[in-house]
Amino acid sequence: MRRFKLPPQILRLVLLALAIVGSYLVARSFLVPPSFGEYGWYRGDALAEIASRPPVFAGKQACDECHSDILHNLAADAHKTLSCEDCHGVCQKHCNDPDILPDKATGSHCIRCHEANLARPAWLKQIVVKDHYGPKCTECHLPHQPNKTP
Amino acid sequence: MLNDVTNIVVEALPQFQGYVYPNEAALHPVWSTLIVVYPYITGLVAGAFIMASLVRVFNVKALEPVYRLSMLTAFAFLLCAPLPLLFHLGHPERCYEIMMTPHLTSPMAVFGFVYAWYLMAVLLLELWFDFRQDFVKWSKVTSGFQGILYRALTLGVTDVSEPSVRLDTKMEWVLSIVGIPSAFLLHGYVGFIFGSIKANPWWGNVLMPIMFILSAIVSGIALCVFNYIVLTWIRRKTVDMRCLDTMAMFLFYALVVDAVVEGLDVLHRGYAAEEGFAVLQTMIREKLFYTLNIGQVGIGTLLPLLLLGSLQVLRRRVPEAVRRTMIFWSGAMILIGVLAMRWNVVMGGQFFSKSLRGVMSYKMEFAGQEGWLISAIIMCLPFIILTVLVKLFLSERLQPNGHSSQSSSAT
Amino acid sequence: MGAAFLGLVTLSAARAAKAAVQTVFVSTSAPKGYDPTRHKWLMCIDDNKCIGCGLCAEACKKENGVPEGPYYRTWIERYIIPKPKPGSDQTRGEAIVDSPNGGMHGFPQPTLPKEQIEHAFFVPKLCNLCENPPCVQACPVGATFRAPDGAVLIDPKYCIGCAFCVQACPYGSRFLNPVTHTAEKCTLCYHRITRGLKPACVEVCPAEARIFGDLENLHADDPLQKFYEKNRVQVLKQYLGTKPRVLYAGLDEEVR
Repeated sequence: MRRFKLPPQILRLVLLALAIVGSYLVARSFLVPPSFGEYGWYRGDALAEIASRPPVFAGKQACDECHSDILHNLAADAHKTLSCEDCHGVCQKHCNDPDILPDKATGSHCIRCHEANLARPAWLKQIVVKDHYGPKCTECHLPHQPNKTP
Repeated sequence: MLNDVTNIVVEALPQFQGYVYPNEAALHPVWSTLIVVYPYITGLVAGAFIMASLVRVFNVKALEPVYRLSMLTAFAFLLCAPLPLLFHLGHPERCYEIMMTPHLTSPMAVFGFVYAWYLMAVLLLELWFDFRQDFVKWSKVTSGFQGILYRALTLGVTDVSEPSVRLDTKMEWVLSIVGIPSAFLLHGYVGFIFGSIKANPWWGNVLMPIMFILSAIVSGIALCVFNYIVLTWIRRKTVDMRCLDTMAMFLFYALVVDAVVEGLDVLHRGYAAEEGFAVLQTMIREKLFYTLNIGQVGIGTLLPLLLLGSLQVLRRRVPEAVRRTMIFWSGAMILIGVLAMRWNVVMGGQFFSKSLRGVMSYKMEFAGQEGWLISAIIMCLPFIILTVLVKLFLSERLQPNGHSSQSSSAT
Repeated sequence: MGAAFLGLVTLSAARAAKAAVQTVFVSTSAPKGYDPTRHKWLMCIDDNKCIGCGLCAEACKKENGVPEGPYYRTWIERYIIPKPKPGSDQTRGEAIVDSPNGGMHGFPQPTLPKEQIEHAFFVPKLCNLCENPPCVQACPVGATFRAPDGAVLIDPKYCIGCAFCVQACPYGSRFLNPVTHTAEKCTLCYHRITRGLKPACVEVCPAEARIFGDLENLHADDPLQKFYEKNRVQVLKQYLGTKPRVLYAGLDEEVR
């Protein structure tokens, strides 16, 4: 019975293949991030990283802490769906330091929504700005309570 | 104050007509010339290898003279295949991720493993078994760097006895058989990358991987024809006409099958006329007119079919020199045509909006990360590598009448 | 004995080296107390309400630091559907769609006069938060994923910038950020919703066209609850099987 001997070519190739696969597995243990696979095929830490970005807009609820009277008026009239930051801009700085005032709301904010546009739905009150009464919206309209006159 | 606010400035972007999603209205396409070059290169690799396998698996003895050149061509192009991908990535330094955490639902994820498998377990292994005895022989007669190289390439195995030669031949046969589906996988997955995108009606259909593989085979054979004629011409030898005629025959029939399948795709699209068809027609007419009708169809398919087809009919009645010219130019035209096909697929899929309402015009940059310049360099690189490989492994000095070298003259 | 000692030394050295390499991947802190498995976020759009003011698109860019240029995490499209040409077989004219700067600064007047317009409306668009996202399927490295709470997110530290996901998204929601060279898209303002705030676009919408909520924690007058009760809903490109989770009410058949 002849003893089975691996031909030298095959032996070398098998050793080479094992070396390559082995180095791949070692590299893998180094290079795969530790939280990978925690929730699925992704880095679990990514959720926390994405969530750690500081928010920019303060949000209407933040305004309620100090300006609840204005918000009370707002909630009783047609502009109740608006957020304060729609017209007053980002208020984050103001929330942190009330001495820093937010942007002043201007007529351009009114026009942005209320300029008549054929694509706008009928339920929205629209005006053709150049044909409308005066140049200053606040002469006849209260921004927080638009159905009331000043 | 109120009046100037009502004149809202609208940026008229001239880069599209109709409607495109705002994210599609960028200056440059997301995938550019580099992604055109990558399938072209892997296609050439797969095609050249499959042609070489015809010798080992199907025993087409006529192609023996071009066997080693085809294998080395496949190798040279395979080495350059990852380059376009690397240059294209937004973060090439993270490229290892594709091998460390491949997301197996993605066809792109198999790239690392299919490439590694094909390079190491198929191509290099088959080349090694074919050249092994020559390495042993050459390492004894050359000195200096080349000698060291040959000695290293023997992997320390110097056995050239009868049983080992028989083993080598048997292994080559096995590897060729394993290699054919591997070559299909290497290029087929690229076709599937496009074919799997259901979001894009130009790409996402079932024929895409098949069209890619067939055009790859055609381009690979054409490349071998081209390289063979050029190399023989450089060496001032005469071409083995039996080999060239056989290659031309395979090239013709492969081109016929490829043309039929591509024609079927066009036919089906036109017949079914699904929702995206209108915008695709506009896109083809506006953006792909020259590259599709003249490049891919005219130069790449119809003219070569005519030339090669007439050779199949007339055969030996055409004098050798004329046959050689016709086959050479058919090969060159097919190479251009298949590159045009890759362009039409990759860029065509990005020239229309997924809203199916608009067509974009992008600026193709010259220099820059995805510009023409870098793609041209990457296309030239395999030929430079092939020259080095030919000097090292197909040198006339070392194998004047070797079993797989070019025949010196037709006796 | 000596071999065992050598083995131990190599192993501990390897472990130390591994820990050193992997510190690259370990991240910083985030809002504590947020458990992604206890929420199920949903965004709905009431298309009858959108007035095309563009405040949402502008707010999104500010909130998320999106670069200037044709890069939008959310945008508004305007559809103008003319009356059919007299004598033609069609019931409706060819829709004219536009989205100048994503609608960020509002829209100019339509070029058609009122008499020729059958319908005109605005449609806000964003990432559709698909339950079977083709973008996640396409990502080769696992950089984009669907979190347990339904948000489809991108890991900016892991993305290799291949843009396969950008190609795979049927809705055009994704883009390649030219600054970070990674893919980017609407994250549902993940950094806000994990702190109990609303996404920026929902926060600023003056018409209540965007409704956002948590299906796991619905309360009595949740706008989401009201939306469900009142409306029949549609999703975009349903035939693709992506199972989008952004529900539209009042969508027209011309919307793609």
